[in-house]
Amino acid sequence: MDNTPKIKKESKHKIRVEFERAPLWVRIKSKFFSINFLKNVVYVIFRYILLIGVSYVILNPYIKKIFGSFMSPSDLKNPKVILISADPTFDQYKYIITENGYLQAALKTFLIAASIALIETLVCAFIAYGLAKFKFKGNSIVFALVVGILMIPMDAIRHSMMLFFQCFGESNPIGLFLSKIIPNYSNAWIQGSFIPRYILAFTGLGFKNGLFIFMLRQFFRGVPDELEESAYVDGSNTFRTFFSIILPISIPMLITVFIFSFSWQWTDNFYSDIFFTALEPPGTMFDIVSKMPDTLTELIRNHERKTMYQSTVVGTSTILVALPLIIMYCFLQNKIVQGVERSGIVG
Amino acid sequence: MNSSNTLPVRKRKRRLSLTTKKAISGWIFVLPFVLGIIMIYGPIVFKSIQISFVSLEGTASREVKEFIGFDNYKRIFEEGANFLEAIMNGIKSLVIQIPSIVIFSLFMAVILNQKMAGRTLFRAIFFLPVILSTGVIAATDASSNALANMESGQVDTNTGEAGFMSSMDLASMLGNIQMGSALVDIVVGLVNDIFDIISRSGVQMLIFLSGLQSISPSIYESCQMEGASAWETFWKITLPMISPMILVNAIYTVIDAFTAPDNNVMGYVQKLLRGGTSGTALGSPIEAVQVGHAMIWVYTALVLVVIVLVALIMKAFVFYQKRD
Repeated sequence: MDNTPKIKKESKHKIRVEFERAPLWVRIKSKFFSINFLKNVVYVIFRYILLIGVSYVILNPYIKKIFGSFMSPSDLKNPKVILISADPTFDQYKYIITENGYLQAALKTFLIAASIALIETLVCAFIAYGLAKFKFKGNSIVFALVVGILMIPMDAIRHSMMLFFQCFGESNPIGLFLSKIIPNYSNAWIQGSFIPRYILAFTGLGFKNGLFIFMLRQFFRGVPDELEESAYVDGSNTFRTFFSIILPISIPMLITVFIFSFSWQWTDNFYSDIFFTALEPPGTMFDIVSKMPDTLTELIRNHERKTMYQSTVVGTSTILVALPLIIMYCFLQNKIVQGVERSGIVG
Repeated sequence: MNSSNTLPVRKRKRRLSLTTKKAISGWIFVLPFVLGIIMIYGPIVFKSIQISFVSLEGTASREVKEFIGFDNYKRIFEEGANFLEAIMNGIKSLVIQIPSIVIFSLFMAVILNQKMAGRTLFRAIFFLPVILSTGVIAATDASSNALANMESGQVDTNTGEAGFMSSMDLASMLGNIQMGSALVDIVVGLVNDIFDIISRSGVQMLIFLSGLQSISPSIYESCQMEGASAWETFWKITLPMISPMILVNAIYTVIDAFTAPDNNVMGYVQKLLRGGTSGTALGSPIEAVQVGHAMIWVYTALVLVVIVLVALIMKAFVFYQKRD
């Protein structure tokens, strides 16, 4: 059979070729009835089952909490109600938002978390750049310290950190120094405030900053040296190079670090527990969860299934804490993967 | 440390060499961290270790302390039988959990790295726990689960993770197919912990994903040209190329799992550090704080040993691609 293609029509830009194709049935058969295709189909089905299953496991607690948050006290007594409320109510939301001052707390937490996350991102980038691109004696020791700090459990230093920042008087070098130079020095400015968190952020010692420094260090090691060398040749010093060349090209990675840092500050309970004990009522997200609104406390006391109702309320406050993060995550989640994808973290 | 680098240079009164200049800028870059360590973190850690060596009994001021040597450490072994038990149990469960986290996250990263419909959505869901199961949210989840258990008297269906099948069913099913009871325990334990394992693998998945992205596509292309199957490519190319990431992730997982506030040992120590004495033979809250500090440093030392062991074992299998 002669099946060499024949040119039917020729114009300046287009060309029409006619050739005899195999019949449709043969084409379908060779495409869909091969072992390879079958293998692929099985693999794709298996993959989706796995992915959907794992997604279900991840999302299940949140879905349960969301449905649970709309349940009214009568639903909890009703044995027929498992997931979807028969008598939906917004009471839990209403009381937590009004009586616990959710909106003020959210604003306050946002300001604290965003500023700390910004400082941490920049400071960690600064430190990581020094570790990644400069050879100096002690580089490896500093890096070992970075990893070492990750290793110390937060609870090991909880007590002494509290003492350190509470007794900012004579008990520690900084306090001693301040009391020497400032007459009538008192440590009231630091007690129960969020200043310690900023101090920790500025020195790259905040929550899991070791991880950030590590990630950024690996990223900067992947940046070609030629880029900086050309900047030096053009007369830029190291700091200007860092701020006007290195930082702009590492924005995807910085966004990743920022998102991590922000969300860990937002849900923070370690520092809030230590430092914010003296804070006025609209506290942080920590207080939203740890404090029960008065009306609901009353309701829970009179309810037959106290613990169940209580966990419903706690679940509702958890949703309120998580909601802003989820909204932010929806917009920025692509950036997280992008940042890491481009980082080429290779040991 | 900074001055020691600059001093000899000043003596010579010459222009700084490029190496010295770079060293100085390097120190300036890491200066905030070094200062923080010397002025803040160092004293804090020192104080914490100090507390484990002193008696705080009867001290009105926090400053006056009586040095009592290793007494607090001795008391761990005398009275903290629960602690040793908690450590043994903790290590036992972590020995299984840590490899499964690393393997699971590698597996998932490989799948999430493939092109398919809905990849962005799945990635978003998989990294959600990194953002959400920390701090307050994780803490309240743990406490509300405990509440729910108290109420319903059930342990299995608490978090609903293994909702299709209770662990009793699974255990009897595995028993029926003549599986050894030790193995059944391991499998049932894993299934019960599945939520924990998945929600702890977020950061590791990210690190693996970045590692996978950095493998040059041309290597895979040449593999395909030579006729290697996907299976062979994974074992011969992906695994060796990603092995440095496996080391990093193994260490990160060890740190993360051992210092997680919700593991057994940490729960026990946390109670002591907050002055709780119930379930122990300790007399007063102050004693509990002292002994708690001693315990947590013993524990940290143990974690360090584990990390060194893991690093040494893994080092043998890590493959570094030589770059020019």
